[in-house]
Amino acid sequence: MSSYISAENINLTFRPKNREAVTALSEFNIDIEQGQFVSIVGPSGCGKSTFLNVLLGLIPPNTGVMSVNGRTVTGPGTDRAMVFQEFGLLPWRTVAHNVELGLELQGVAKGPRRETCQGFIKMVGLTGFENHYPHELSGGMKQRVGLARALASDPDVLLMDEPFAALDAQTRDIMQAELLRIWHEAKKTVLFVTHQIEEAVYLSDHVIVMTKRPGRTKKLVPIDLPRPRDYEMRVSPRFNELKLEIWNELKDELSVGGDEDSGHA
Amino acid sequence: MNAWIYEKRRLLLGVAAVILFFLVWEVIFSGLVKLNPLFMSKPSLIWSGFMYDLKSGKVLFELMVSVRPFLFGFIAAVVVGIVVGTFMGWRQKVGYALDPLMTALYASPLVAVAPLVIIIFGVGVPGKTFLIFVLSVFPFIFNTYAGVKAVDQLLVNVVRSMGGNDKDIYFKVIVPSVLPYIIAGGRYAIGRALVGILVGEFYAASAGIGYMIAFYGDMYAIDRMFAYILIMMVIAVAFTEGIRWAERAAFPWRVGM
Ligand SMILES: Nc1ncnc2c1ncn2[C@@H]1O[C@H](COP(=O)(O)OP(=O)(O)OP(=O)(O)O)[C@@H](O)[C@H]1O
Ligand SMILES: [Mg+2]
Repeated sequence: MSSYISAENINLTFRPKNREAVTALSEFNIDIEQGQFVSIVGPSGCGKSTFLNVLLGLIPPNTGVMSVNGRTVTGPGTDRAMVFQEFGLLPWRTVAHNVELGLELQGVAKGPRRETCQGFIKMVGLTGFENHYPHELSGGMKQRVGLARALASDPDVLLMDEPFAALDAQTRDIMQAELLRIWHEAKKTVLFVTHQIEEAVYLSDHVIVMTKRPGRTKKLVPIDLPRPRDYEMRVSPRFNELKLEIWNELKDELSVGGDEDSGHA
Repeated sequence: MNAWIYEKRRLLLGVAAVILFFLVWEVIFSGLVKLNPLFMSKPSLIWSGFMYDLKSGKVLFELMVSVRPFLFGFIAAVVVGIVVGTFMGWRQKVGYALDPLMTALYASPLVAVAPLVIIIFGVGVPGKTFLIFVLSVFPFIFNTYAGVKAVDQLLVNVVRSMGGNDKDIYFKVIVPSVLPYIIAGGRYAIGRALVGILVGEFYAASAGIGYMIAFYGDMYAIDRMFAYILIMMVIAVAFTEGIRWAERAAFPWRVGM
């Protein structure tokens, strides 16, 4: 019985020309139920973005099977959309036209397309910037355009690669709340990559801790906090226990700062 | 008023410098230095020489003679340059193979082959067309090549991940990212093409702007010679500024333009 999103023994090695091969994923496994909010944390360069790209259908794995909703992933599909780590906005398109990209490619007519996207632009707080070009926006604003673009195409599975990394703390809080609202209302399955343990705990049903490269799933931590989540929960004892548990899993994987004397007990 | 001046200061200063240049030129040869009309001229004389040829219809006629090979050669350069540059960018082997050869040809003073071109293609439109083509094709090749290589793979992936097919990738990513490179190539190409027409007409021609410059020079009609040189300059400036204006209008998303 396979789950909604399943990765089975995925191996992926990059072989750049004239440079050393890099194994990004090795025997990578994951199982996610439909409608879940799952965060992935792991050291930088451990293969998180690579995995999202495999799931998105942009990079075929060397071996192993990636499947969504019972179908093997062989390429991109409109059931999945990604908020890219490096934004990936088309510089020659205004904010509005960037947000409309997905619906445009799906062949939605101009009128309804504009209307739908207007709502998402409002949601990410960019009303009034519809006709700006990406180079006229701050990093945080660009990131919100990428978010609106992915949401506007209304995917079943939303892949988010550090989507809030460029946001200031307050905007981040607002965006987190909006994301939870959308996830809850639209019944999407969300895969959320972040470096912030607190954020992962606050948002998720499960947090996946990855090993350092080549990345594997090290530990699946269920987050048993009640929903709806609210801001006060962040100071509850259980919240902090979960944070600590994840941190303890993660810290052994971080090579920065020397790994000799990090493990005691 | 002050705000208006401030806003237009770039244009105003540019125009002021040009006017000042001609004024100083005029003043120097209107008393300070004795003007020898066999070797020098001054703006007022150039202007009357220009008006004389303009009224007789000569200016327009010579322009037309030069314009035809210019258009043929330039359009051929655009088409061939884009096709070759695209191939070099897309097929790595083609790029590796052609890069050194093209660089050598681009860097060398190709006007040197003008006499040979005239011998092979003869006087007139074909020779001039070929010379203009050879001189102006390289900026298009190299800029298209650079543009295709610089296409951001992430953007290709974005469009692909949202369900875009090859056609979508071509028209929504590749064309818009390469176009500004091609237009920028056009700016260099224009200058080189103008050199092409001049040199072509210097060597062998019986009409055209370049021919008139050489002709009036031989005749010691320095005022007319300057008039045609200035026509050339005005055309060059008009083309360059026109392209710049078109760039700003067509690519408002380019940073720092
Ligand atoms: N296109 C590529 N070609 C070659 N190597 C690559 C490529 N993409 C990623 N890698 C390598 O694969 C490894 C995993 O990269 P990935 O981007 O998945 O890391 P990440 O977990 O997302 O890191 P971060 O948290 O810093 O974003 C890295 O060592 C990286 O250098
Ligand atoms: Mg990453």
